[in-house]
Amino acid sequence: MAMTDRATAHGGGGGGILSGEAATTYFERRRQARTRNALILTFAALVLFWCLYVTVIVDTDWERIGGRFGILGSIGRFLLLDLSLLPHLVVPAIETMMMATLGTLLGCVLALPVAWFGARNVTPSLYIFYPIGRFMMVLSRSVHEIIWAILFVGAVGLGALPGILAVAVRSVGFISKITAEAIENIDPKPVEAIRAVGGNQFQVMYFGILPQIMPVVLGTIIFEWDINIRRAAIMGLVGAGGLGLVFFRQMAMFNYGGVTMVLLAILVLIIIGEIFSHYARKAVT
Amino acid sequence: MAVLEVRDLRVRYNNTGPEILRGIDFSVEASDFCAVIGPSGAGKSTLIRCINRLVEPSGGSITLFGEDVLQLRPAELRRMRRRIGMIFQEFNLVNRMSVMDNVLSGRLGYTGSFRSLFRLFPRHDIEKALELLDRVGLSDHVNKRADALSGGQRQRVGIARALMQQPDLLLLDEPTSALDPKISRDVMSLIRDLAREFAVPVLCNIHDVQLATEFCNRIIGLQDGIKKFDGPTETMQKSDMELIYAMEVL
Repeated sequence: MAMTDRATAHGGGGGGILSGEAATTYFERRRQARTRNALILTFAALVLFWCLYVTVIVDTDWERIGGRFGILGSIGRFLLLDLSLLPHLVVPAIETMMMATLGTLLGCVLALPVAWFGARNVTPSLYIFYPIGRFMMVLSRSVHEIIWAILFVGAVGLGALPGILAVAVRSVGFISKITAEAIENIDPKPVEAIRAVGGNQFQVMYFGILPQIMPVVLGTIIFEWDINIRRAAIMGLVGAGGLGLVFFRQMAMFNYGGVTMVLLAILVLIIIGEIFSHYARKAVT
Repeated sequence: MAVLEVRDLRVRYNNTGPEILRGIDFSVEASDFCAVIGPSGAGKSTLIRCINRLVEPSGGSITLFGEDVLQLRPAELRRMRRRIGMIFQEFNLVNRMSVMDNVLSGRLGYTGSFRSLFRLFPRHDIEKALELLDRVGLSDHVNKRADALSGGQRQRVGIARALMQQPDLLLLDEPTSALDPKISRDVMSLIRDLAREFAVPVLCNIHDVQLATEFCNRIIGLQDGIKKFDGPTETMQKSDMELIYAMEVL
């Protein structure tokens, strides 16, 4: 077989790295691997094309887009800013900021017991509370903030309150997960020392654990607040107040310039949050 | 009468694992500065941690100040622990807290949860802490963070914290093995002086035999979970050491 010849030629009369039987199987295996990879790639490409065909090519209303100028025209409508909306954006912007901040604070309070339950080394019971804690972490993150907002608008009515609740509940998962992980990774030595002086369970946590996890937890909370500004900004879409509500109204009135104004206001809030959280995170770590 | 009496102490960390301590008997008198020596893995740390039940023994009995330590319920155990000062190999300080707060944490056993939440330590505790920090030579570092100090200084904070408890027994777990030889000697003599001053018996496990013979009046030799030697320091012979360490000692 050709493969064998080449292998022995390389090895200089059978004394090389690979020769005889071993060389055959080695080159054989390389060839098989290449064929297999080619097959997998072809299959993946076919699947991808099928997805594109079904979702984009068949499913799009091509008539409605109406050529190149149609697209440019629709985008152009958004560029004529409606500056008269400016005074009406201040209060919703502040409301959005407050929703994000209060939601984050409430989220921290709610995350406290969840992190305690869900950290292996401090959980009150590994068979009862630990799974509960872990489940709450997953539940909080697996439901979208808009869905939470819809639930809370249904429960407490329109306004900022359902937005705050939605932001809070959505924040619990991330904050408590990172906190629980930080608790699991602490240095056990100070904990041992606090136990040795006769400290009770609370004192062990407060003096032995809390100082160790504080930088991570504060950093996470600030990061989450930053994200919550984005979340609070869209809460109005389902009737939970803030800039999202203005956005929704402008959209309903087909006032595209106004929509852009709202988007710019959201952008400003996010930049403020970004700058603040940058310095705050630096300060705590 | 002995302050501490240990009888047939046995420890295994899990039901199927090997026994770490295999029936240890000894007692500590009120005037003792007692060393526990032995090779790594002999069970020295485990033995020390059994006294205040940081490690739960699986058998035997420990009588401390006339009370059976192994029968104590959680609240009673905490009350017992606050009478036992402990100094650790790696200091076990809370790094992100100030030196002062670390020393004050020695009083936690006497402080309620609510007071400790706001770090409301009584005035006389704070005065006592300042006095002790002065005594161990750290008056200039009171408000520094614990992790800003050097190893020797950190161990002094550990000593001040243990004495803050006004202990009736001091447990030392390799107090010098993270320190260099000179600092080790300083730290040991500081502990010896303070223990004499406050008339506290000391149980100290230490792997440096020279330090043990220099500072301790009694030596317990441990090997593989079994006591091989127990007697006053001056009675220990080279042959005893060879027995403990199971090797030629120069």
